[in-house]
Amino acid sequence: MSEDKGKISRRNFFKGAAMGVLGGTALGMGLFSYSPWRKSYFPDVKRKLADIGACKSIKVTNISETSWFDNAVLMGDIKGAGGLLVNQYSYNWPPFGDGSGLGKGSYEKGIAKIKHLLPNNLEEAWAITEKLSVSPQNAGGFAALIEIEEMDGRKRKFLLDSGWSYKWMDESFKREGIDQMLKNKEIEALFISHEHFDHYWGVPVTYKYDPTITTYIPDGFYPEGLQYLQDAGHKGKVIKIKPGLNPMIPGLATFVFAVPIICRVYGEQAIYANVKDLGLVSITGCCHFGIIQFSETAFREIKYEKDNLYGIYGGLHISPFEDWDPKYDDLVLSLGKYGFQKIGCNHCTGLMCAKKFVEAGYPVVKGTARHRTKETNYLGNGDKIGYGIEV
Amino acid sequence: MERYGTGYLEERKLVKRWPQPIPAIVALVLTLAVFYATWWIFQDPRGWMRMYTPYVGYMYTRWWLIMLIWMVYIFNYWPFKRKWLEDTHPVVKGAVLTVISVVILWVLIKGFFESLLGNYGIAYFNPGNLLKLPGMTEFFALEYASLACLMFAAIASWLSPAWVVACEEVPWQNLNQPGKGISILVATFFLSTLIFFMTMHSHMGILYYPWQYFTSIAPPYWEKFANTVSGNFHVSWIMCCTVTVWIVETIWERFPFKLIRTNWLRRVVAFFGIIAIAWAMHLFLYFAQELTWGPAIRGTRLINAPDWRWLHVGEMAVFFLVPALFITFYCGNWPKRFSLPVNVLVRTLITISAAILLYIFYYKTSHDYLGTQKGFMHEQQFPMIPTIWLINIWLVHHWFMDNWPGWKMVPKTAEEIAADHAAEKAKLAEVRWDPALGWGLGAGAVCGVAIYFITLSVLPWVYQNITVIK
Ligand SMILES: [Fe+2]
Ligand SMILES: [Fe+2]
Repeated sequence: MSEDKGKISRRNFFKGAAMGVLGGTALGMGLFSYSPWRKSYFPDVKRKLADIGACKSIKVTNISETSWFDNAVLMGDIKGAGGLLVNQYSYNWPPFGDGSGLGKGSYEKGIAKIKHLLPNNLEEAWAITEKLSVSPQNAGGFAALIEIEEMDGRKRKFLLDSGWSYKWMDESFKREGIDQMLKNKEIEALFISHEHFDHYWGVPVTYKYDPTITTYIPDGFYPEGLQYLQDAGHKGKVIKIKPGLNPMIPGLATFVFAVPIICRVYGEQAIYANVKDLGLVSITGCCHFGIIQFSETAFREIKYEKDNLYGIYGGLHISPFEDWDPKYDDLVLSLGKYGFQKIGCNHCTGLMCAKKFVEAGYPVVKGTARHRTKETNYLGNGDKIGYGIEV
Repeated sequence: MERYGTGYLEERKLVKRWPQPIPAIVALVLTLAVFYATWWIFQDPRGWMRMYTPYVGYMYTRWWLIMLIWMVYIFNYWPFKRKWLEDTHPVVKGAVLTVISVVILWVLIKGFFESLLGNYGIAYFNPGNLLKLPGMTEFFALEYASLACLMFAAIASWLSPAWVVACEEVPWQNLNQPGKGISILVATFFLSTLIFFMTMHSHMGILYYPWQYFTSIAPPYWEKFANTVSGNFHVSWIMCCTVTVWIVETIWERFPFKLIRTNWLRRVVAFFGIIAIAWAMHLFLYFAQELTWGPAIRGTRLINAPDWRWLHVGEMAVFFLVPALFITFYCGNWPKRFSLPVNVLVRTLITISAAILLYIFYYKTSHDYLGTQKGFMHEQQFPMIPTIWLINIWLVHHWFMDNWPGWKMVPKTAEEIAADHAAEKAKLAEVRWDPALGWGLGAGAVCGVAIYFITLSVLPWVYQNITVIK
């Protein structure tokens, strides 16, 4: 009898306990999880303060920021090919057109048509691809020249990206004298920010003038992209950079982020420059990881002058297709807190976003809207910006 | 009188053709095969129709889920007669009902949202009207309209089943179909519209330049609390509500609410209790991300951005729904041999463990076969699309096809139904107040709180020691 009773109450105890566990856990979840007390669980930010050295000044020349000329045409192609997750090599965009039409291409079939002409006969290669590709007239590209002045006055040059259209990029290189600098081996290295068509597919234009230039790529290139380096006629060193900080020369470092990116691209590399007495300058190609992430990363990883975030140059990947999302407003609203003093934005920042920056009173350096750049809120094609130096 | 499918799901007996686990494995393999084939046809960015643009496919996936809920939970399979449901071969039934669900899906999107609302009410539901904005491209006109539409779907996917599960169809429970279905549909659609305006409309209102101050609250009222102006904050808790409704309906068998004997009180407590549990989940899953990836930083993109974190709460929540449905649909809601609360607790623990494994498995492997890219965060990738797509296929298989071929449907006899009701009564009667139960409750609650805090300390360590993405 008493044994029986013990059994029953044990069963009841477990019933209650089961309910209690569920209830207690839910209570903790509901009451504590978003309370201010939760912050005691966050570890203090440990700053690594890596020393990347300092430079006297840095100057950026916008060779081209117009990656495509008509946004509606580009988005029409993306829509027709199946949206933002489709592999970029299958679009049948130049230079990998094979004549089979939108969304049906591949790297192998495309490169086969022009490979024999790279990198020396780009005119003919482009003429061929114009016939076989989708929207060849729409291709432009992103590329920038970085000139850094070391503390002892020595000047050094680097190229960030090589654009997209062979034709447009060759014209742009000639306009800014990049072709001569490459021929004279004045430019030390080419940094490829990421594998996107508008930054990378024009790489034979650089190799046409200097096939041996050392090329830095971020880790995460797909096999097609790696193959293209060889097919484009590159004869120099290729250095693949792992995610994280990569100091280059005093005052200049690159940083690679392991991020998945639309159109099936992975990983992006961007540049930090530490300018004496001024602070940190961020130079980005597309900035898919976000400019505030880039600044926060700098805060955690490196030491820079006056602990000050000074300048920005480049595409900020906010609304690359002139699209919008309330989260972009989060960025516009937050950027002010970081205190940048000189912002030169263009490319995938989005004209709408640049306009919102100007309205928010941020120090956006105006451009001249020449060479097919659309508005002066962008630091346009052929424009220059200096940090620690007047241009 | 014709009952259509009223009570069909409770009154059907699914008889296993083979001993477990064979039927469960057969069901899993079959549904995964259908999942993969249909994924390739409709969604895959490398596939045929490539609807994963992403928003277009996202919208159809979510609304299709609601079509299934409407047909089965709200309309009880009306206008299909009970005899047809019982006698037709599951494959034929599955095909006919699926086609119908797709037809109403299409009529709803194109007819109701795009044409009616989008032309005579709110422009942002119609891509054609958005296209008139300066600088708008066709692609984004379609994406934005789909976004508005799918945000509506998130709300409907919570409220439509909640009216049946929590409110027990009140006050129309005794009405015949289609009167009952129409009444519940109108009521839940009305509520969804209200919630849409209070949660998502402001998101849409600041999607265009300049902010639409005159029609929506801008910046949205939740900005300070949520640390973002994005409506993802609401997507998060609303998805948690959807998941909680289905957890309560499946592995919890409407426990603990069904312990309340007063009808009105039970219904009210159930409706708001589901919201309360969902909010606990909503806040906890956000905190869990802070513990693993660090505090969110407003203005960043992707993994550190508050808007993405909120969205990811909803995504994680759906990972919990997948094993819960599997346990109920294909494992006979195992286990059943303990008391109701213990059964519920055991199923919950299994669900949580399975969900964590599924989450890790998904992020480790999905990029190898879904045509997506590796990474937790991506600007345009939403794991809710494949998970809900799979759930839709399971709902079709379980509701329309009686788990064919692993199971055979036999209508229960009157005696069996009576026995079910008696067993249910006994199960409830067994859970009643008793000092031992009280002691258990107290001890359990203390343990529950302890489990919560232990989880908080263990999470960062677990995250550091498991490499999900290389
Ligand atoms: Fe770009
Ligand atoms: Fe890019």
